[in-house]
Amino acid sequence: MSKKRQTFGQVLREARLAKGITLRKFAEMVGISPTYLSQVEQDNVDPPTAERVHKMANLLGASADEWTALAGRVPEDLPGIIQKEPTAMPELLREASGLTAEQLRALREKARQMKAQGKPGAEGGDV
Amino acid sequence: MKSSLPFLREDVIESEAEMLLAEYGREHEGIICPPVPIDEIIELHLKLEFEIRDLRTLFGLGDVHGAIWFLERRIAVDEQLDPARHPGKRGRYHFTLAHEAGHWRLHRKHYTVPEGQKDLFDGEPKPSYICRSTEKKLPVEWQADCFAACLLMPYKLVRSAWEEWRGGLEPIILSEMPDRRQRLQAELLRRGGGKSGPDGEGDMILENAVRPFADLFQVSAEAMRIRLEKFGLVARKKEASLFD
Repeated sequence: MSKKRQTFGQVLREARLAKGITLRKFAEMVGISPTYLSQVEQDNVDPPTAERVHKMANLLGASADEWTALAGRVPEDLPGIIQKEPTAMPELLREASGLTAEQLRALREKARQMKAQGKPGAEGGDV
Repeated sequence: MKSSLPFLREDVIESEAEMLLAEYGREHEGIICPPVPIDEIIELHLKLEFEIRDLRTLFGLGDVHGAIWFLERRIAVDEQLDPARHPGKRGRYHFTLAHEAGHWRLHRKHYTVPEGQKDLFDGEPKPSYICRSTEKKLPVEWQADCFAACLLMPYKLVRSAWEEWRGGLEPIILSEMPDRRQRLQAELLRRGGGKSGPDGEGDMILENAVRPFADLFQVSAEAMRIRLEKFGLVARKKEASLFD
């Protein structure tokens, strides 16, 4: 099966229908108008805000981060994370950019272990 | 402009609508009380791509309610009918969806793309049918309207709901209504104007009377009044009901 890159609207529509939810019902669940949701699904307007994308993904059991990226948005917590470490964090991201998914998984696991050892929550606890 | 379509009798159209409801009942869930889940029928059962958009601008017509593209398996309803933004249009929205379902079930097999037809613009294909409110009704549009009424207000469902609503199958008779003037005034106030034609006043009084029942089916009072008159559950003067 050829895997051509789908738009945010297409992914959203497919996921909604796979769950057996109508356009109108889903619009109500998200708290937006059916007209707006329809326009998003048809890619006639910019994707919704990161917060809304997050809500949509959660309601449909999809990955919020994946959908946020697909929508061209930045996850809401990221700007804060970067601002806390304005030099180190962008450097880390630049270094990590280009790694394979497997390598990123290993790096993430390592970071998790380091955080566990460093007892996050302790005063001034650097990673 | 369109290929020749067969003449369809009303009972044939009604059977087709009943068949669609039965299919939906088998594959999803049986419809035992109103309203008929037309959004689910369109998207989940018929699997038609559905969108709500500004059709008036798209087609440059001020009275468009809906459109259907057979080849693309797509229907669209004008954004002015979005019930979340315009709650008063909920009945018209449902009727338009059911109308497009009618085109899908009754006409798609007979439809051929007119020779030399070009896209509208930017690869936007021309729809198979554009459904408008003020256009003189072509036979296909009449058939789709008839289908919509049968689908949203099926005989058995209307009958059982009426029985529950009225506590029996007694019809509402215009000539026997004691509060006609008040009803007319209330309806005129609600609509912000009158309805012309010899039966206009009677129509308005009856529509005022059946509006709560129409709300159960989420259709307009006018659509429900027409359907109920057909069933003999609403009449201008006393006559035998179909259910007697």
